[in-house]
Amino acid sequence: MSLSAPANIELKDIAFSYGRIRALQGVSLVLGSGATGLLGPNGAGKSTLLRILLGFLVPEHGQGQVLGYDIRTQQPEIRRRVGYMPEDDCFLPGMDAVTFTSYFGELSGMPRKEAMKRAHEVLFYVGLGEARYRLLETYSAGMKQRLKLAQALVHDPKLLFLDEPTSNLDPQGRREILELMIDIASKRDIHVVISSHILSDIETVCGRVIILNKGRVAAQGLLADLRETHFNLFELKLKGEREGFLGKLEAAGCRVEETEDQVLRVFMPTDLDKRTIFRLAAEEKVQVRHFLQSRTSLEDLFAQTVGVEG
Amino acid sequence: MTIREKGYHHWDGQFLERRHPWWPITRLGIRLTFKRKFFKFIFSSSLLPAVVFLAGIYISERLEDFRGMARIESLLLNISAKYFGAYLTADFLLFMAVIILVFCAAGLVADDLKHNTLQLYFARPLRKRDYLLGKASVVFFFLFLLTLVPGLLLVIFKLIFSGSFRLLRENPWLPLAVLAYSVLFTLFLTAYALLLSSLSRNGRAVSLLIFGVYLFSDMLFNILYGIFHSPYLGLLSMRTNLKLLAVPLFGLKPPLGLPWGYSAGLLAAVVALAAVVLVKKVKGVSVIR
Repeated sequence: MSLSAPANIELKDIAFSYGRIRALQGVSLVLGSGATGLLGPNGAGKSTLLRILLGFLVPEHGQGQVLGYDIRTQQPEIRRRVGYMPEDDCFLPGMDAVTFTSYFGELSGMPRKEAMKRAHEVLFYVGLGEARYRLLETYSAGMKQRLKLAQALVHDPKLLFLDEPTSNLDPQGRREILELMIDIASKRDIHVVISSHILSDIETVCGRVIILNKGRVAAQGLLADLRETHFNLFELKLKGEREGFLGKLEAAGCRVEETEDQVLRVFMPTDLDKRTIFRLAAEEKVQVRHFLQSRTSLEDLFAQTVGVEG
Repeated sequence: MTIREKGYHHWDGQFLERRHPWWPITRLGIRLTFKRKFFKFIFSSSLLPAVVFLAGIYISERLEDFRGMARIESLLLNISAKYFGAYLTADFLLFMAVIILVFCAAGLVADDLKHNTLQLYFARPLRKRDYLLGKASVVFFFLFLLTLVPGLLLVIFKLIFSGSFRLLRENPWLPLAVLAYSVLFTLFLTAYALLLSSLSRNGRAVSLLIFGVYLFSDMLFNILYGIFHSPYLGLLSMRTNLKLLAVPLFGLKPPLGLPWGYSAGLLAAVVALAAVVLVKKVKGVSVIR
């Protein structure tokens, strides 16, 4: 069942259900090196996808490989080579960071002495060198987050899954974790998959995104390509009765959102001319008081693709 | 300002293909248990019956030197298979075993559930049975130190003190009986403790449950037996059931005259229940978002 190509992750037509709830359906992906952001609203299937990639769950349908190993039959081989940083706080009480990190290195299959040596190295790398002998119960939220990253890195994985790596962190802690993620992602031989709700984090770290919605891949590709090819974004302020104008915009294939300060954000398909906006405004006798072509952020792309408020 | 104190370096070692991937779990569990307050004292105290029974063996071989103690219990003077059965079924030994369970087993699964660590275990090349075996082996280690090791040592010391193999000639199956009872005793208590540990995320609550169920089962038996006088009520008591297991192995008199098969069936059912619950409760995926 070879799917060809030396990609890190290849999935073909993956489906999975929790009872009657279809969590994933027809998911096909090919991921190479670098950092990939996994986006989607709650219930989109992000965590289910990560769990299938880790071998926690076996898909009902479809086939796939992670690092060349079959996700159905070679789960131990995958887990040996993959690092996982879960979203929740995870630690073992009564332990210090060195023991904790080397313990999980050993469970990955590293020899005991090498796991211990490597634990010291990665703890220094994530900035916990001075605190490595402190009991984990005394760690702050930011330190626990870095510890989770250390245990995910201890066995030098080829592929790193980070689930909401910056959640519950203060701005300083978030910056520090982002810096580490950028550094790791810059290594050509470590592929990073980041699942996050914080779109700006994904924009900062990832060059490529996968947007899941209702268990399907709604969009995937290089961030730059997705921004360019799908739509243009314009910001408008109007005066006058705008219902008819908005109706005509939507009929023309635009998606319109209104921000809290009453700015209309119009996502316009690239095949439409921006002068259409002025033409429709004139037809509906609406004054355009403000017009700005905006750079589409990942948030905009996400909102456009998934159809949720940005 | 960077938080990195050192750059990232790759590891160039080789992964091991461990025959026993559960062993690091066991080693850490034992180490953490020994680090707990008062545990070393409690564990040392639990070996007290072994010292007393060893003294009994010594005295039985030196009766001439201990004439003044000639009125001591006949059991102490007549060293047979029953003597070893008496050690392994001593009330104090079971009491201390339960106390040790509180220290070493209560948090084994409960702490992993509470601190969400199961997903870290199962993100490693570890199967569910490796995890469970690793945890169970922590309890095996301490309970074997309490039952199997002293039991076999008592047999060896008896042979040394007597200077003959008469004991083994008369009871050739005795070492096997000690082994079998220790394994059954340990297996049941391990399953019992891990079952309770998997039912809660609070290690302290599990400690109370481990001790409470043991005490309550005995109290309930005593109360109901006082009212109804039915020997079958003995099956309610964990202590009586464990003693009944030793009856066929050491030729002991069955408590309350109960058939040991009932207890064996009951304890086996608890072990099976524990296995089913543990397999259901222990999984890498616990939250559906």
